[in-house]
Order: sequence, then C-alpha cells, then structure tokens
Amino acid sequence: MSLQVLNPTSEEVIEECSLAKRLSTLEGATVGFISNGKEGTDRFFSSLTGVLYEQFSVAEVVLTTKSNYSAPADQTLIDEARDWHAVVTGVGD
Amino acid sequence: MQLQSTSYDLTDSADIQEFFHSRGWTDGFPIVPPTPELVQNCLEWVGMSADQLIGVEPVKERAIVVEKLAINAIMAGCLPVHFPIVVAAWNAMLQPQFLLHGATASTGGCAVLSILNGPIRLEIEAKAEFDVLGNGARATSVIGRALRLGLINILNVSPGAIDRSTLGHPGKISYCLAEDEEGTNWQSLAQSRGIPEQVSAITVVASGAPRQIMNEWTSVPEEILDTYVAEIRANMLNYSIWAGDYVIVIPKQHRDYLEAAGWSKADVAQYIYENARVKRSEWGQVGKQAVVRDKGDVTYNALMEPKNLLVLAAGGPAGGFGAIIPPWLGTKSRAVTMAIGACVNCES
Repeated sequence: MSLQVLNPTSEEVIEECSLAKRLSTLEGATVGFISNGKEGTDRFFSSLTGVLYEQFSVAEVVLTTKSNYSAPADQTLIDEARDWHAVVTGVGD
Repeated sequence: MQLQSTSYDLTDSADIQEFFHSRGWTDGFPIVPPTPELVQNCLEWVGMSADQLIGVEPVKERAIVVEKLAINAIMAGCLPVHFPIVVAAWNAMLQPQFLLHGATASTGGCAVLSILNGPIRLEIEAKAEFDVLGNGARATSVIGRALRLGLINILNVSPGAIDRSTLGHPGKISYCLAEDEEGTNWQSLAQSRGIPEQVSAITVVASGAPRQIMNEWTSVPEEILDTYVAEIRANMLNYSIWAGDYVIVIPKQHRDYLEAAGWSKADVAQYIYENARVKRSEWGQVGKQAVVRDKGDVTYNALMEPKNLLVLAAGGPAGGFGAIIPPWLGTKSRAVTMAIGACVNCES
C-alpha cells in the first residue's frame, strides 16, 4: 500500500541573475561601498578606500550605509548605485 | 482548485519519514504525512483556494500561498481547526514592520513567538496555565511548530541556510502560547493592541528565549515588578541595550497580588517603563567597557514607550515565578497583532 504525500517547499522557480559586466580597470572609476551599518564596517571600508585610491587610482569612492542592517537597501540607495562603475557590498560586524 | 504541489507515492511510514528528513524538510522530529486529503481539509476549513496568496516575503520575493502553509501545518500535527491561526500568523509575519527575513536570518538567534487571544483559544483547548512556556497544550505546540516548518520549507530558514543563528534557542522548535483570559480581570493583550473584544487574534514577536524570574517573598506590586525589571536590565547589559518590544509573562500568583492592589496592565507597563533603564557605564561591569567610550552617562530605556511592553497573563496557578521574553534586537522588528479569520480596520 502506498501513500501520496505533497512537497512542502516553495517549488517556485527562481529566476537566475547574470553578473554585471566586469571592469577591465578601476582607474578613473567611481566605486561605491554599501555598508550594512554595523560598527566594524567603518575601519574596514575606510582602509579599503585607501587601497582603492592608492593602488588602483579610482576617481572617487562613495561611502553609503543602509538604514537597517537587517533589511535590503533602500530604493534611493539602489538608484544612487546606478551611477557608480562598481559597488562593494557585504556584511561587516 | 487543484493542489499544485509535487506529489510522491511512498510505501510505508518509515519510508515517508526518511524521505522528508533526508531532504531537509523537517525539524528533526517525525512529521504527519501531508496527504492531499488532509491538506484539502485545511483549505476547506478556512474557505480558501489552494493558490490564495497570503503575502510576499520581500527579500527573497517569494510568494506565500495557502497550499504550502497547509502542507506544513499538517506536517506539524495541526488539525483544520488550528489552520486559521497559522494563516493569520503568516499574515502578521509578512507585515513589513515584522522584518521577517532579518528576524529569521540573524546570528542573534531569535524565534517567532506567537501569542493567542480570544475565543478561538477555548475552541482549540489552548491551555494557558501549567507549562505555558513548555508543552502546555497540543494546540500551541503544533501551531508554533507549523510556523517554524513553514519557515524552513517555504523560505529556506534552515540552520546554516537562511537561518544563521549562532546559538538559536528551543523556541525555534515551537514558540506559541495563549493568554489566560479567564484567569484575570486584565484586558487581553490583543484588546490592548486594538483588537475588539470577542475577536480572536494572534500576536507575533521576534523573541529571544524566556528568562525566568522568582520572587515569592513579597506581595507589594513594586517589589514584585522590581524582579522583572532586574531581569530586563540584565538582558540589556548582557545581551542588547536597545529598546524594543519586551514581553513579560505574569502567572497567577504574582497577578493576584497586582490585581488585588488595583494595578492594571497599563500600570505594570508604566512602572517597568520608568524603571527598566541602564546607564551605558554599567556595561563596564559586564565586560563591555570597550564600548562604553565617552557615553557612560547616557541612559537607555528598555521600552521606548510603556505600550512597547506586552504584558501577558499566563502560567500555572501556584509559584512566585514569571518570565521576561526579550526582543530579538531593539526595534528592528516590531510585534504585530492580527485578527484571526476577521478583518479589523481593513480597507473595504
């Protein structure tokens, strides 16, 4: 005797994203950082900023912070990021 | 509406259990096999079609449909009569202010506490006395488990996947309780949060583990509440200093003293609001001197306002015990109360 049972997971097909085109160089680029707002990001991102200017000759580094580290970035921040050549986002603690 | 979920024909009980365990679809305990008949019974009970959308989890942009909630509720051991509560709880968890993704993904390790009010408690025998924070009633055990299994299976909130809790706590297995409305003259939690009398409701709170207190040596309201305050202050220093939605569970022995002295829930909340405060310099006493910095004189309140204390009448009839249930992390997630099977203040 068999029993029919149902799949409890979402089963929603997730649309795959493709990666943005890679930059051939950072020289002259505008690079944005999106901090999650945790305390540890300050020193880490300011150190990386120095590296970007000194070793990679970027034109500008834009430092931004999410309003809530447990929530997605606000739309205004996402819109701002469209003007950057590259963005660094990640978790800092 | 036909059920849309993939179905599997399995041969025996052990086979079914291993099939589900091996796919990571359980919490480690045996499940009730979710057959189409049992799932349909839940859908019929709430009068919803299988594809009815309850909401969308905004981070993963994942649709939450009622069929999947029913499958997970059956697996958890729910009966159809429990299912309207599961639906209402998901509706509450999907409100933006609950911040479901953050609350279920955080290393902080909170769980979703759900609190039942109103006539449905009696209908489903959701007892609110002995072991109210343990396995006090079948109904609360299975409803709490249904929410967790739904999170695991629908949103991938499994340990190490979306759920990144460093420790977690036992409430992640099931964390549901009812209020002992018959054992108190106090207004119910749901009523204090805007739900009309005689309407059943569920309140969800992203919560840490309960912290039990004991004071059997006074009948003075201020002294009783000072013990609760001390535990909240300890949580502020040892865990998180930020104000949030705290729950306190006051069993009958303490409640009787408070009610006899004429204290309402609002009075309790006001007293705790005024006293549950710490100075940042006190962090120095618990090994956190490094983050006191030059803000030692700043005072932090556990509650932004008295209404942020969710006072709950529940627990066994004897014993000078109580519990505080701290928020996950400040105001990142707010408690949400939702009517069950009814629409309160909804747009037409």
